Formats: sequence, structure tokens, C-alpha cells
Amino acid sequence: MRRSLFYLLFFLLPLVLVAQHEQDSAWIREHYTKKELYIPMRDGVKLFTAVYLPKDASEKHPILMNRTPYSCSPYGEDQFRAFWMNHWKYYLRENYIIVIQDVRGRWMSEGQFEDVRPFNKNKKGNTDIDEASDTYDAIDWLVNNLPNNNAHVGVFGISYPGFYSTMAAASGHPALKAVSPQAPVTDWFMGDDFHHNGAFFQMDGFSFYSGFGKPRPQPTKIGPKGFDFKVRDNYKFYLEAGTLQQLADYMGDSIKFWKELYAHPNYDEWWQARNARVAMYDVKPAMLVVGGLFDAEDCYGAWNLYKAIEKQSPATNNKIVMGPWYHGQWASRDGSRLGNVRFGRNTAFDYQNNIEIPFFNYYLKGKGDDPALPEATIFFTGENSWKQLPQWPPQNMTPTALYLQANGNLSWNAGGSSNAYREYISDPAHPVPYTEDVHFGRTREYMTDDQRFAHRRPDVLTYVTAPLDEDLTLAGPLTADLRVSISTTDADFVVKLIDVFPDNFSYPGDAPQAGRTAGGSYPMGGYEQLVRGEIMRGRFRQSFEKPVAFKPGKTETVKFELPDVAHTFRKGHRLMIQVQSSWFPLADRNPQQFVNIYTAKPEDFKLSTIRIFEASSIVLPVVK
Amino acid sequence: MRIFIARLILLFLPFAGFAQSAPDTGWVRQNFTKSEVFITMRDGIKLFTVIYTPRESGKYPILMQRSPYSSRPYGADQYRQRLGPNTQLMKAGYIFVYQDVRGRYKSEGSFREMTPFIANKKSNKDVDESSDTYDTIEWLLANTPNNGRVGQYGISFPGFYSTASLPAAHPALKAVSPQAPMSDEFIGDDCYHNGAFFLLDNFSFYSGFDGPKAANGESYTPFFRARYSDAYQYFLKMGPLKNVNNEAFFRDSNSIWRQTVKNDTYNEFWQSRNIRQHLSNIKPAVLLVGGWFDAEDLFGALKTYAAIEKLSPGNNSRLVMGPWTHGAWSAPSWTSFGTYQFGTNLNQYYQDEIETPFFNYYLKDQGSFQLSEATVYETGSNQWKQYSTWPPAGSTPTPYYLQPAGGLGTGKPAANGGFSSYISDPAKPVPYTAVTSGGRNNEYMVEDQRFAARRPDVLVFETDTLSSDLTLTGEIVANLLVSMTGTDADFIVKLIDVWPDPSSLPATQQGQRPTQMGGYQQMVRAEVFRGKFRNSFSKPEPFVPNKIEKVNFKLNEVAHTFKKGHRVMIQVQSSWFPLVDRNPNKFGTIANMDEKDFQKNTIKLYHDSRNSSYISLPVMNQ
Repeated sequence: MRRSLFYLLFFLLPLVLVAQHEQDSAWIREHYTKKELYIPMRDGVKLFTAVYLPKDASEKHPILMNRTPYSCSPYGEDQFRAFWMNHWKYYLRENYIIVIQDVRGRWMSEGQFEDVRPFNKNKKGNTDIDEASDTYDAIDWLVNNLPNNNAHVGVFGISYPGFYSTMAAASGHPALKAVSPQAPVTDWFMGDDFHHNGAFFQMDGFSFYSGFGKPRPQPTKIGPKGFDFKVRDNYKFYLEAGTLQQLADYMGDSIKFWKELYAHPNYDEWWQARNARVAMYDVKPAMLVVGGLFDAEDCYGAWNLYKAIEKQSPATNNKIVMGPWYHGQWASRDGSRLGNVRFGRNTAFDYQNNIEIPFFNYYLKGKGDDPALPEATIFFTGENSWKQLPQWPPQNMTPTALYLQANGNLSWNAGGSSNAYREYISDPAHPVPYTEDVHFGRTREYMTDDQRFAHRRPDVLTYVTAPLDEDLTLAGPLTADLRVSISTTDADFVVKLIDVFPDNFSYPGDAPQAGRTAGGSYPMGGYEQLVRGEIMRGRFRQSFEKPVAFKPGKTETVKFELPDVAHTFRKGHRLMIQVQSSWFPLADRNPQQFVNIYTAKPEDFKLSTIRIFEASSIVLPVVK
Repeated sequence: MRIFIARLILLFLPFAGFAQSAPDTGWVRQNFTKSEVFITMRDGIKLFTVIYTPRESGKYPILMQRSPYSSRPYGADQYRQRLGPNTQLMKAGYIFVYQDVRGRYKSEGSFREMTPFIANKKSNKDVDESSDTYDTIEWLLANTPNNGRVGQYGISFPGFYSTASLPAAHPALKAVSPQAPMSDEFIGDDCYHNGAFFLLDNFSFYSGFDGPKAANGESYTPFFRARYSDAYQYFLKMGPLKNVNNEAFFRDSNSIWRQTVKNDTYNEFWQSRNIRQHLSNIKPAVLLVGGWFDAEDLFGALKTYAAIEKLSPGNNSRLVMGPWTHGAWSAPSWTSFGTYQFGTNLNQYYQDEIETPFFNYYLKDQGSFQLSEATVYETGSNQWKQYSTWPPAGSTPTPYYLQPAGGLGTGKPAANGGFSSYISDPAKPVPYTAVTSGGRNNEYMVEDQRFAARRPDVLVFETDTLSSDLTLTGEIVANLLVSMTGTDADFIVKLIDVWPDPSSLPATQQGQRPTQMGGYQQMVRAEVFRGKFRNSFSKPEPFVPNKIEKVNFKLNEVAHTFKKGHRVMIQVQSSWFPLVDRNPNKFGTIANMDEKDFQKNTIKLYHDSRNSSYISLPVMNQ
């Protein structure tokens, strides 16, 4: 009954919304005033806070807060943020009090900034602060000082503001009723942003920290400049830079976090303290964790924050939403495609109107029925439909191994000679690109890009099934379970799950393309769509804290998890796995020697011959 | 040669010359009458010929095209939409003639690919294209209101038929313009380059060209219609060349495809078809036209001109080379290609100032024709150059030595310079383009080569940043010293212009952003050589594993300025797929080999003081 009601809402709400007034900039100025305040924290440090207050006094209003290191600009009480350009305008239509705060030490706030400041579960006096206590102090001040507020506070944010949302949820303030961490930065060593399984995501790290990491000794409205890239080809820039030491030289000496990152090459206590999940115990507010299946930055964080709360705080009202989105796409105007791949509907619109807004309306305004969101609202690509699930992964999911055979086939059956292997040479002078073409910034589209460019390289192994004779649905995490040997003492392993489209495939309404034309659509026949890819720095195969060298020529197991997928391989498609040992310049090159990569010299980079044995498998989350 | 026709149609549809918005036969109908006749050749065979005569009475020169691609439309009241090589000539007062060559479409007789010329004809049974043209001209002179002079022109295969009319030409044939003419299909045009088989082009061409002819002669049924959106995957999956003969593909053992595959050395079959050797004592004025970015017959344009220069002292022939793809000079407009922006409509200049005056002068005594010996578009500096010889005096072959660690320069490498090596794996051939496509990517000749530079099976050698402009005009010669673990290999050498970081090109349209060119590796010229022919094209020889051997070969001429701040780059690789079929890396007849014969090959390219691989570049003196 509830389900059909939900579907009904899907269809009705868009009509209701369209009938309303558009909340443009004039409307907002007419209905809101802006105040800029300094809110004192318990240790005396004051945080700069922009507050947008509805003029309406006919009822009390909830507070929706965003805490960010990226500035609550524009500064000046007569300068309004452009809410009319995104879905926040629907909150203004509902007369929410909107609060945007510069976190401690950033932009106009006082104090010392610390990247992903570790949660302190043993705060004692007023000098023990963290982001959770700062949020507590902010909420406390706001509910006691803002006119006409209904003492119900919600916090949300995407990416780094997602991290601050996670920390808000740990604040324990009783007025905080609902929190939505979205693509939340959660663990920068295991899977978010700057490392995946210990492999350094140098391109994201360097381009981000060269600007963001610059010291901010005093509150300011002026942001830092980033690195002046003369080379507009990221593959070339990072290959010519060569070593992480060279990148450090470019970075200069002033960027604290960069130096700290280099000083902690393994998952030691320093990193473990910075895993935001350690804060997720006894979480009181309703939680709505949101993420993108194709988020190049914090896909790991979204899935794993949700799972951590499930495990560590089982009493919490905790839900997850995952759509076919790049980083933040759910907050944009179009969720119908990413790169060449199309999803058949505007999933961003679906999410905003049917999930997020009803969630906050219910918990912060007590408005309407409990939207009774299912535990997991997940968009399944391939079949392109939303599913409402009572648990994630779904109950009828069975981890099933698919074996990498030495003849290039994939088989559900183990067996065959476990001594048979395929091999390739990984040459650090010619790393496998993470996407084709030449780009300056990291593309968002690489997460669904055509992998044929990689298929054609001699340093990529490709395994493929026959065309499927029925749909195959995967829902949950993947595990790569490789039996390998290498000729050196370390190597990286990249495993990619790929959906191969039929040779005659075209999207409805498109004529089958004979070739890529300028401004035309991409030839989709035979497209090899990346569904999920992940890298593992081989030295961490036994422990992320204590890396272990490979013995050249010795067969070893490299087992690692890839972030959850929700994808249906349609009948007639093929399932493909590619294995390679570089993913450049997304991840730094492994010198393929067991040396400290952060201090490695150019001469440390060596060729490695990599063998993948037939007993290797990928364990897939198959749904029957 | 082949894909020409379809492309020509696409180029002409936006026809600038007329007030009409759609192509239309109105003007031609109004101004010409059409007749269709059979002209009998000396051996009794009749050739189908279409004649468009101006309605206004007078005596006109004849301008003729002979083609294997059909003289359609057929039917006395079916008219062509346009006539002649360009709009100006169409309106200048000519009789236009289109003829189906012997054995094609409505003409009688047997078709032979690249009909060999018979130098010593003994009887009326000895026929070739020269004699067929002669006999045709004889008949036309007697049966049309003509001024006694005939011209001929054609692009691609019709270009060959133009060249083929030159030896023993009829005295009334006064002006001939072979344009992108096929000349030698083993050495450099269409089917093979230096013995390497052009798989993609041959396959798509012969699947259509050579099928059974309809009873009325007006069409051919293709052998099959292949539809694929990823040529690389399609041809890789096809496997060894012998698989093409199976049920799905070319069943007929008499087909031209089978004939082309079977003749895989420079044997008598190909030697007899090399028209260049017969270009002595040439009487007509000749205008050779070709395109720097012609993927099919760049060789033919350049080498037909060179043959006439060598064998016919006192000839009246000239060369025009522009930044065109195959046949592009005949379109209404040509202002850009790839990332090149030419700034003006080069075709207006070519058609109005070169092609039209050429025919008007030699066929009508109208105006004058003062064109230099060679009119050549210099890319990079983007300007026309006029030379009194081709290649020009003032161009010095200068060795650029491959250096260790990817350098390139005029100094010889050191004694311990060693070698660079790569593994050529036939299962993972180097693509010829980064674009996934079902047809040949026509822009591959100017494409950014960074996709190749990033592969472990491509060697890259690069100069320092140039401190001044460097202009290359003339032929390039690769001189490689190699050894390998296999017994054969292909060598592809690519000359590349590397743009500085940062650099950009202005936007061509309003609202567009400038094109980022920093680091762009713009291909300028490239060629393949099948290594087993390094000592003789007719007698291939295996490589001895691990023995250092010379592989020397020419690349087609260039006229390009590398601007100050750019770099010169050479890339070397051993596959170029599916443009060229895969070398199994094992000596033998590739058409007989199975998949298991295709093996990996570790190839070394030497660059030390004793074994100094170099590329000879034609440096223009400043």
C-alpha cells in the first residue's frame, strides 16, 4: 500500500510544483532578509555565519544549515546567494531559515582550520573542540537567537560539506532532527578523493590542494589562487612531473595538509583518526545519505557512511539514496545522462521533489505524511529504473564468483588449470590512460566512458562473456579476488566492470551512428561502458597499515573491494572485466618497487611483468 | 579512389553557384542537349558514351571524363545536374563527354583493374586505355560540332584514365588533368603502400565495386553490405586475411579482391600496371592536381608528375598540391580541415585561377596560362608557394638522428646510444585513429597523435623547442636500423608537428571557445613499409632474428612549416590498424596464414654512433 502511494507521489508532485510561483531573485529579496553574524564557539572562537530569514511571521520556521570550507559567499548583507538557480529555491518557497556557515579557520571565520578534523569522542573542557562541537554550539546559538524559529534544525551538504554534515549528526544537539550527508567526504585513504586503497589520486589532490590548501592566517573574503598550469593536457603534465617529489616542489612549502599526507603513506593512526565513521555512534537525527553511482570523488563515502551507521548505530533512522550521478548531479537540473550514457528520465528532478524535500519537510516542519522512504532508494542503470528496497544490499543478493579464464573468457565455474595465466607488461613510461582524448581537468564522464581505447592496448587484459541470454542484475559491492605474480616488488591492480553494448545498439530516436561526428552522437554499437572501476595498491594486500613487498615471481592473492553497483546487464549485452596496472593520471604511477612512493626518484620506476592466473575471480553481487 | 563518389555527392549538395536551394537539372537541360551513343573501338568492342552538346550552335572544344564509376544518369531525357570539373568551365562553352570505360556499366568488353599499357601494339586486338581514348577521340572529332581540340580530366580512378590517355595520345588531345590519379597500386596508391595491404579501404571498396552487373548494365550488386560501427573491432575479430574468403565475405575467387590479395609482391602483374613507366614523349599539356591529406592517391599525384618530368624532357606539365582530402578541390568551398584554418576559400582560387584558365587556354586559346611549374600550399605557414622545379631547389636533405631517451636532432648519437625497443603484439595492434568509427576517419592524416604516444608499442622521438621556423619541402626518407625476434615486421614512420604549451587557435564560430592546442601532436606525413621488401619489392626476404638490418623507405613529399616554438616529432610503430592489415611478424604469404602464425615481436630500433637510425628531412634553406 505504501509503495503504491509512493509511486503516486512520483507522478503527482511534479504537477503540484509546476503550478507554483517561480522563486526568482526578485521573489527571494522580497520575501527574505539576510544577516551576517559571528557565532561564538565554546572556546571563544567566532564563526562567520550568513543567515537568510523569511520575512513571514505567521508561523515559526525551521532552520536548514550548510557548513562549508568553500565560503558562505557572497559577503555583504545586501548580496544574496543565487538560490533561484538551484533546488534550494524550493526551501525558500517553504520559508525555511537558511544558514550557511564558514567552518572554523576558513574564509571569514576565526580560528585554525584543520582538514577533516578528527572527531574527538572524549571532549572535556571548553578547549576541546571539533566539528561536532562547533555544530552543537552553532545550533544552540541559532535556536536561541533567531526570530521565529521552530527549534527544528536540519543540516545538509555535498562533498566536503557532506563531511561537516556527518560531524553535525554527531553533535548530539536535541534540536537537530534531520541530517543529509551527500557524497560525504569520509575516508581519504581508503576510498574518497585523494586515495583509493592507498593509491594516491594525484590529479585530484594536486589541483585541489594547490589552491584550497594555502594558509589563511586571518579571516578574509578573498580566496586563494590555484596552480598556474601551462600544460593543458593532464596526462602529459603528470607524466612529465614524474615523481611525487616533483609535485611537492611545485606545491611549495606552505601547504600543511600536503606535507602531512606525504608523511603518512600508510593507513596509520593519523589516517584512522580522520575516518569520519568513527563519529557515527548513537546517532540521533534521521539520516538521509545520498550519493552518486558515478561520483568520481566520494562514491565510497556515500555507501560506506551509510553502512557504518547501519552497523554502529542500528537504532538510527538511517536511509540511503543512490542515483546514476556524477558528484553533486542530484542537486543539478539534469539527471538524465552522463557522458554518452543515458538514463531515460530526469533523475535529479525525481530525487529533489520526491525524496529530499519531503524528507526535510517532514522532520523539520512536521508537514505532510511521513514520506516513509524505504531503507534504500536506488536507481538501477542498464534497466534505468528506480527501486525501493527494504535493505541494502537486497536480501536476494548472492555473492557469486566469475572466473577469469586464460583464454579471455569469463566463467561462472571455477576449474581449469590454476597454473594457466595471462600476462602483460606494465611500463611506467606509458601508463594506461584513465580515459581517452586529451583533457585538462579530470573529467566527470570517465566513470561511464567507452573502454574500447583501453581494450586495444597491450597492457590491458580483457575478459568477456558471451552475449547474455537473459538480464543479469547486480546490487551491492564487488570483490576482486586475484591470483597474481609480478616480476618486481610492488604493483597496482585496476579492475574494471564493463557493460558491452550489442553491436547494433543505438538509443531510441538516434540513427545508428557510423562514426563519431562533430556535434553528433557517439557510436554506441559495441560501446564498452565502465560500470565500476577500482584500484588496489598491491603492497597493502595484507594490511593497509603495514604494507608488504611482493616476492618477484611468487604467486600471491590480491583481494579488494570495489564500491557497490546497481546495474542490470540486459539480455544481448556482454559482461566484461578489464585488468591493468595503471590508471593515469587519475592515480599516481606505482614505481613497481617496494619503496616509499612519496620519496621515490625517477630511476626507481621500473617495468613489471604481471601475470593473472586462472583461479582469479571477481565476486559479483548477483540478484536472482 | 573509391569512397570518392559518395563523398563527392556530399560535397556538391550545398551547391553555391546557383540560386536554387536544391540540386536541379534545369540549367543543364536548358543549355545542353544530351545524346547517348556506343562508340566502336578498334577491336570491335563498343563503349557507352554520353555527350552533352551546347544548344547554341558553334564549334566547341571537347572536355571528357572516362570512368569506371558510371556515366549516369542513363536515359536520353535524364540529365546530370552539373557538367565538367567546375562551374566556370560548365558555362564557358564546351562539349562535355562522359564514357563508361571498357568492361564497366553499359560498355562492352572485359574490365581489368589498372589496364596495362601496351607499348608495341601489333594488331587491332592490342587494346588498352590509351587506344580506347584514341579511338573515342577519333569518333568524337567526326561526330560533334567541335573545334578540333579535346581535353580530359578525372579524379582518382578517372584520374588514372586521364594519365592512361597520355602515352601515344591522339594529336587532338591538347590538355589533360589527372587529379589524385591512381598510378601504382602496389607501391603507393590505394591497395598497397610499400607492400603493406590497405585492409580497410580494399575491403569496403571491393565489397561494392566488383559485384555482379545488372542485365541492363546500369548497376552492380555489391558482394555484401557490411555494417559496423567499430572498424577496429570488426577487422580484429575477422582474424587472418584468409577468413575474408569465407561464406560471409568474398566468395568469388575471380573477384578483384582475391586478385589483389593474391598478388602480394611487386610481380609482373603489378609491374605491368605501373603506368608511370610509360610516360615518355608526352605531348599534351598536363595539370597534375593532388591533396596533401589525400588518404588514397597522394602518391599517384606526386609520382605521376615526377615520372613525366623524368621520362619526357621538354614536357609541358605542372603540379598543384593543396591542403585537400581526396578530390576536395572540386567542391564549392574549402576553408578548413582538422585544426587548420585557411582563412579563405582555396577552391575558389584553384578553380577560377588554375583549373579554368588551364583548359580555356589550351583548348580555346582563351586568356593566358602562366602557372609556375609547381604551385604548392605550405601548411603551417598557410600560404601558397610557387616553385620552378619540384621538389624545389633550395631544399637540402638533412638527416635527423634518433637519439636515446626519445631525442631527435641533427647531431649523431653517442657511441653508447644503444637502442629503443617495443613489443608489437598482433592481438593488440596500434590503432590508426583514436576515433571509433565504421568508416575510414578522413581526418586521420592530421589527427592528434597523443593517443598513440601514450602506448607502450609506439616509440617517440622529439627535438627541442625550435628557436626559429623550420620549413620542410620535398621528400622524406626513413633510414632505420632495426633488429627483431620475429622474421618480418611492418614499420610505420610518422612525422608530427608538436604545438607548444600553452597555445590555442581562435574560435571559428561566434560563441565558441578557442581550440586548445597545447601539446597537440599534429600528424604531417606518415607511411608504412612491409619490412620483408627492404631489399626488393619483387623478392621479399625474411629478417634473421636479432640481426641488425637496414630498412629504408620514402614517405610522400611535404610542404610544411614547423613554427618557432613547436617541436618536430617522429613516431615509429609496427601496426596501423585497421588501415593496414596486421603483419604476423613471421615471413611468408600472409594470405595463407592462420591465427596461430600471428606472434608477438620484440623490435629494437638502434641509435648509437655505428647504427644511427635517422629520418632525412627536406629542409628549405632560409
